[in-house]
Amino acid sequence: MKKQVMEFASGNEMASIAIKQIGYDLMGYYPITPSTQIAENLDLMRAGGETDLIMVAAEGEHSAAGICYGASVAGGRAVNATSANGLLYALEQFPVQSGTRYPMVMNVACRTVSGPLSIKGDHSDIMYMLNTGWPILFAATAQQVYDFNIIALKLAETVRLPVVVAYDGFFTSHQKGRCYRFAKEEAVKEFVGRKKEPYPFLDLEHPVTVGSYMNEADLINNRYQLHLAMEEARNLLPSLFASYAEISGRAYDMAKGCYCEDAEEILVVLGSSFDTASEAVEEMRGAGKKVGIATVHSLRPFPGEELFSVIGHAKNILVADRQDSYGGCGGNLSLEVRAMLQRFGSRAKVRSLVYGLGGKEFFKEDAKEMLRLAKESGEDFAYYGVTAGETKKEEGPLFPPITRESTCLGARQNLNAVTAMPGRIAPGHGACPGCGIPVNLNLLLRGIEDPVVLLFQTGCAMIVTTAYPRTAFRVPYLHNLFQNGAATLSGIAEICYRKQEKGEIPKGDIIFIMVSGDGGMDIGMGSALGTALRGHRLLIFEYDNGGYMNTGYQLSYSTPLGAKSSTSHVGKNQYGKTFFQKDMVKIMAATGIPYAATVAESHPVDFMKKAAKAAHYAKTTGTAYVKAISACPLNWNDKPMTERRVIEAAVNSCYFPLYEIENGITRLSYDPEKAGKKIPVADWLSMMGRTKHLLKEEYREVREALQQETDRRYQELKKQLSETFPTR
Amino acid sequence: MEKVNHLLANRDYYEIRLESIGGLGANLCGKMLGELGIKYLDLNSSSFSSYGSEKTGTPVKGFIRYCEKEKEIRLHSSVVAPDLLVVFHQALLSNPETLHGCSEKTKVILAVESGIPVLPKAHEVYGIEAQKIAMETHSRINIVMLGAMLKVLGLTDLSAGERICEDTLGKKYPEALEGNLEGLKRGFEEIYKIRTEGESADNLTKLPAAAASPMAMESVTEAATATAESMAEAGPTVKEDFTGTTRPECGYDNAPLGGVNPRAGSTVVADLSPSRQGFIPIFIKEKCINCGLCFSTCPDMVFQFEKGEFNGKEMMINQGLDYYHCKGCLRCVDVCPVDALVRGVESEHQKKDFFLPNKELLRAPKDYEKTGPDGYVTSESYLTEQRMEGGEV
Repeated sequence: MKKQVMEFASGNEMASIAIKQIGYDLMGYYPITPSTQIAENLDLMRAGGETDLIMVAAEGEHSAAGICYGASVAGGRAVNATSANGLLYALEQFPVQSGTRYPMVMNVACRTVSGPLSIKGDHSDIMYMLNTGWPILFAATAQQVYDFNIIALKLAETVRLPVVVAYDGFFTSHQKGRCYRFAKEEAVKEFVGRKKEPYPFLDLEHPVTVGSYMNEADLINNRYQLHLAMEEARNLLPSLFASYAEISGRAYDMAKGCYCEDAEEILVVLGSSFDTASEAVEEMRGAGKKVGIATVHSLRPFPGEELFSVIGHAKNILVADRQDSYGGCGGNLSLEVRAMLQRFGSRAKVRSLVYGLGGKEFFKEDAKEMLRLAKESGEDFAYYGVTAGETKKEEGPLFPPITRESTCLGARQNLNAVTAMPGRIAPGHGACPGCGIPVNLNLLLRGIEDPVVLLFQTGCAMIVTTAYPRTAFRVPYLHNLFQNGAATLSGIAEICYRKQEKGEIPKGDIIFIMVSGDGGMDIGMGSALGTALRGHRLLIFEYDNGGYMNTGYQLSYSTPLGAKSSTSHVGKNQYGKTFFQKDMVKIMAATGIPYAATVAESHPVDFMKKAAKAAHYAKTTGTAYVKAISACPLNWNDKPMTERRVIEAAVNSCYFPLYEIENGITRLSYDPEKAGKKIPVADWLSMMGRTKHLLKEEYREVREALQQETDRRYQELKKQLSETFPTR
Repeated sequence: MEKVNHLLANRDYYEIRLESIGGLGANLCGKMLGELGIKYLDLNSSSFSSYGSEKTGTPVKGFIRYCEKEKEIRLHSSVVAPDLLVVFHQALLSNPETLHGCSEKTKVILAVESGIPVLPKAHEVYGIEAQKIAMETHSRINIVMLGAMLKVLGLTDLSAGERICEDTLGKKYPEALEGNLEGLKRGFEEIYKIRTEGESADNLTKLPAAAASPMAMESVTEAATATAESMAEAGPTVKEDFTGTTRPECGYDNAPLGGVNPRAGSTVVADLSPSRQGFIPIFIKEKCINCGLCFSTCPDMVFQFEKGEFNGKEMMINQGLDYYHCKGCLRCVDVCPVDALVRGVESEHQKKDFFLPNKELLRAPKDYEKTGPDGYVTSESYLTEQRMEGGEV
């Protein structure tokens, strides 16, 4: 046994500790709830000098998985962490990695796959991994998350396959409890051993080609090798568990039961529910009931034989899944258990339940009820915990419809007059007090008099407006994924135009608006550029709050240099974010769209005028792009009431200049120098908690670099100004 | 190490639930309580928060379980029937879910802001003027509440509490430690018992060293009646399962397919007043020049303009504010060029003269649902902890 110390920690924290102790070379990641804390914790450790892990914040999970693959091919030890839609976005990378046999470890904090969007925990994401050729260890507790992370790397490098460590999002990832870790990293490093490379990729004297093109005669053999590797993993795992038990004192099995030996009814579940159900079983045993509970710690390879030895003798088995393989009459665990029971000749009556979707909690009482259901005759497969709903008397709409007449005021340049326009977004939304997003949306929509159709990419704006069964929208609205909102809106617009041509819906201009923010222009940039290049007639509006605020403020590519975020901490080895904010307007303008502009709430009339102009181009010519700088009091760490002044300072410091590019002609809308209001960037930085530290002497270089870059960009902008269209 | 064996007499787990809103530090407080149990009270413990919210103003719940040191904590579900319920924000009492699962055995600690409401069913109810103490000591509400909890948990002195504060705050924010230790101490010393249902007002017993504010005592009756009434009204309409979760009206039988939502603008039925933290904008109509700047800066579409005449000119006239949806951010106060909007302390403005519900509504909602903003953010903001720990804001 090696010496261990106690930690009061969550699953995500224990994963981070294991990753640090193993001493990985690189983490490629993209933040997604509930796995994000792993990268956050490691970044904090990095800032404090506790680890030299290379951390690469990708612009999406597809890239994150690619970064990890590259690192693994190059002979580094790579680790990733993701969840839900992120896992699915990266999915095509996973079979490539297992098929070419490069080991790594990926933590999956399991969460339900949208849509409708939910961020809570179930197993609908992890089951997509079943056919990728990755071994999947499933941890039921935070302690197991730590232990399995260490075992997983050893397994991965022995059988040369990438391995997943999965656990319940929130229930395991976020709950803190008593855990143990090795006191010294050496114990972990010794267990894992040194990485061996059969074909060192960077050995230039012995070059190898990775990623061959294979025809039918060959591919099946490659796949058979993969199958053999998985079988090797099956044979290896028990001995790995045993040797880990020797140093930790914690013994694991691929399948585990509790009170199963003489049980007549057994409940089979995956993840944290096993623990909760164990308490129920204990109580029921106290009342003389012969019940048991079982689970598996390895989903791939599936431990059929081991599980059969635990549950095969039972009279009644109920398998409860936190996901459904729709049309398959059960969730995937249930289907696997049924196949296993058949294979080994069990006579048990089996029932399948789907429960706990979208993080619906699982209580001790639920386990008792399920064990009661196991014994009863009834449907072979059912949902547990659904509600039929009650239809109430219709009370009629809350608001009148918004008509073209009611919004055409001819008053777009007047702050007083636009108050007469009906609100396309109703009050009662759930944004934080002082949030800039609704302010920007209001100014945008009040500048547009034609009817609007809205599409929001994932982000704070959609979350706070559409929590079921309520919606803030009084106009047609669609939410689609973080990365392809612009593409989706292209489809909507094209069908609308076709229907209008065919006379199926009335003619008349409709402004199609895609709203993006919270870094949506990072992961969704490709889709936005594609849409702009195709020239669809629509408006892309970005509220740029300078971070992934909807997931707790991780850095985005438009976070200012030096700003603190939960993935760019400030510490003795790190000063905050290490690269400049990206110039999205310039990127969009390069596609040759007819209109691109920046707006700020501190200049509301200019804002509404540009909204009107953008709408004009969106209905007549092609794609228009408008970008607002949007305040986030929570994460900028300033006072909600001061936000308009903070935004004004960003404009006056020329960090966020107000200008437009109309048919290739650039115009400055407001020149702080001419207005006598120009301030150093430092004055703006001093207003926000996220950047205040940059005013200290030790960060002078960072501050000056940002000032220089701001000046450079502003001078460049001025050079582009057309002389025939002087500043207004 | 102080022993608190009495907590676990007759039960396997001693369960605590914290009811708070984002920004008051309940999350960190729960973490500290959990760590306290394991490090200094010779117990095993676990702690976690309700998932999905760390946004300012959003309702947040914290759950802490204590059990014997030797026992593993295998329950991962939230605390339904707490032994100790701690309410960090008085406005949360207007939501019946806040008190769900309270029984005769439950002890309740309430952060008292204005008046003392009567709490039903609880075995013992304690009050603490957490906000006032936090402001006076430059600490945070969560630390004051922690001090109060330690008293109710039956700790004889503060040494364990002080150590957990030092562990959590000392290293990272040593400059904030002193104020927080003072806040902890005053929470421990100034918690007092307040009356429960059926108890007469003169039966109030103070805990040792308690110092109930006379002002709060005077307003007992009025506030108590108001809260009792509002709860009676809200009570029967709520359908709950045993966990206290409201069962959805829209189910698989009647919900439009695919989660499509035809209830346009239905967020308007939300009453967001619980997300305010003590301050509201006050409108002085005589000073207003109807420039519309307040309208342009308000994230919550609070200002109600109607056609009228101002200085002989036909224009839109500011009629007042819709306080159902005002979250108290005071952006409008900051931009008003003529001081027609000023910051007011909400408790001094029970009657709001310029309270106008949204003018676009066809009909008044049947009832406004008290709520905070919707929760989504799940990681703590990197700054939340700093705020909680008394760092700069």
